[in-house]
Amino acid sequence: MKNVDPVALTVFLVLFVLVTVLGFLAARWRKADSLDTLDEWGLGGRGFGTFVSWFLIGGDIYTAYTFIAVPATLYAGSVVGFFAVPYTIVLYPIIFIFLPRFWSVSHRHGYVTPADFVRGRFDSKPLALAVAVTGLLATMPYIALQLVGIQVVLEVMGIGASGSASWLAKDAPLLIAFAVLAAYTYASGLRAPALIAFVKDTLIYVVILVAVFYLPSRLGGWSHIFASAKDSFDGFNKQNAGAIAAGTVAGKGIIPPAAAHWAYASLALGSALALFMYPHSLTGVLASKNRSVIRRNASLLPAYSFLLGLLALLGFAAIAAGIHVTNAQESVPALFQKEFPAWFAGLAFAAIAIGALVPAAIMSIAAANLWTRNIYKAFINPQATPKQEATQSKLISLIVKFGALAFVLGLPTELAINFQLLGGVWILQTMPALVFALYTRWFHRWALLAGWAVGMVYGTATAYSVPAPGKPGSHFGGPLATVPFTDTKGYIALTAFVLNVIVAVVLTLVLRSLHVAEGVDETRPGDYHADAGDPGVEDVLEGEAGTAPSAR
Amino acid sequence: MTDPRRPSGGRTAGSWEVVAVLLAVAIVVPLLVFLYDSESPTLFGFPFYYWFQFLMIPVVSALTYVAFRISAAATRRERREHQP
Repeated sequence: MKNVDPVALTVFLVLFVLVTVLGFLAARWRKADSLDTLDEWGLGGRGFGTFVSWFLIGGDIYTAYTFIAVPATLYAGSVVGFFAVPYTIVLYPIIFIFLPRFWSVSHRHGYVTPADFVRGRFDSKPLALAVAVTGLLATMPYIALQLVGIQVVLEVMGIGASGSASWLAKDAPLLIAFAVLAAYTYASGLRAPALIAFVKDTLIYVVILVAVFYLPSRLGGWSHIFASAKDSFDGFNKQNAGAIAAGTVAGKGIIPPAAAHWAYASLALGSALALFMYPHSLTGVLASKNRSVIRRNASLLPAYSFLLGLLALLGFAAIAAGIHVTNAQESVPALFQKEFPAWFAGLAFAAIAIGALVPAAIMSIAAANLWTRNIYKAFINPQATPKQEATQSKLISLIVKFGALAFVLGLPTELAINFQLLGGVWILQTMPALVFALYTRWFHRWALLAGWAVGMVYGTATAYSVPAPGKPGSHFGGPLATVPFTDTKGYIALTAFVLNVIVAVVLTLVLRSLHVAEGVDETRPGDYHADAGDPGVEDVLEGEAGTAPSAR
Repeated sequence: MTDPRRPSGGRTAGSWEVVAVLLAVAIVVPLLVFLYDSESPTLFGFPFYYWFQFLMIPVVSALTYVAFRISAAATRRERREHQP
């Protein structure tokens, strides 16, 4: 077992205690009469402005796992991992287009989850259930991966290391961290991660900015960092030339070869389309107070992408610094430990760990809301009062978190990563029912359900059949597979999505010609443009937005 | 591509077309990998591949911001016309 550095540990603990206190105090922030409704507990009162939303949404989508996994792929020589940058570039123009409509219709009708909208638009419980279950399935492993992020940091720090004697010593730190997280999420709802996100993002910005200016000066400048990465990869390619030619080992490099262009672009596009299908991303959006907050943030959030790109390059910096770890995910934490004084390393580790708590809290709230609105209220207790809904959600948020914890502790990490990979494939299959439906009611509800099912089955089966490089016969080896009728590799989620849409279009034509009942749409065209201050939009606002519809 | 305008937004149709073009450029250009898959020219030690993608971040952000301003102005005009 490694020696625990007392300075790093102290800094880490102090920051952790600070966010815990903040998490509980959050219940008093923007104080509501009662937290006993989903609008208050689950959406923070639906009143966050540009500033808070920027931190909340940023803290939500740039997770600790991203911060560990993206540089890890570059460290491992897979430059395709840098797709995270174009992904988070094209993401914002995309959400600029459709999220304001989703915000408007949700506020008019009091929708809390994406599946709420699907039910209202298509008058179809099965379709809403499909969307809700997909959301739950995709979110759970995502929460589990946040725990993996904390675990990696703890391991590098030497606490909870895999070498410890008993499972209790090994897992206790993680258990405590999660119990604390569960307690303040239960007490404060969405206000807790919103407030903690300030600390998280400030820490991350400080750490990354220091790292990207300080590290190159220690490691001979960026040109030297890129050169050492390239040399290391070239050396690897020469050594394994035979295996690479035979296709059993993947070649390494710092620029993707032409054959990987579509893989790169489809991963970026597919992930960008999928991200705001995740219930937790939409939770952050619904908590904002008007349409302009979303559009303004679409041009402000890319600041995080810059950070993510710089962070990704620390994977190369780790190579230049001579870091050798077998688990690539430990490369960046190990880099911090080697190159920085102990107190700063402690700060960096705390940033990553707190970075895991914010999204984990939002995800568990979103998953709990899905359960409450689209399974509990839809099927078990249709007469549930707002207070019963809130109680149910609070309870489920606990269960969801401990489910994720059990998942991480009881099952191999690999499995969480595989499910996360599948989650991205699955969640994109809800896009036609969710996003297309914001613009048109042309699609038939049963056709959408069939398209979803085809996309889910195709995506799952294809992902299952992808072997890991060098391990024929293994499964879930990566997000890429050959696109049917071509010999180009592409992101499975996007291929499945195209199939999904084709099925939905063809079946809509068939069902319409057979005059199958299509249900009653409870939304009206004007709902998609409603803004704060308009009649019927929940009155939770004050100030400029509430006074005149034309004010902003 | 963009919000279909409110039923009779005739006078703002042009604005929405500009918004659509801005966003389309912002979405498509970063996905055209063949534009930037080269090592040279380097800038501050960064291969072209990397600094070009970093450059895209503020560029797309600016395009999106302009789109936001145009859309906000168009929405205000539409709302004035509908609510005298």
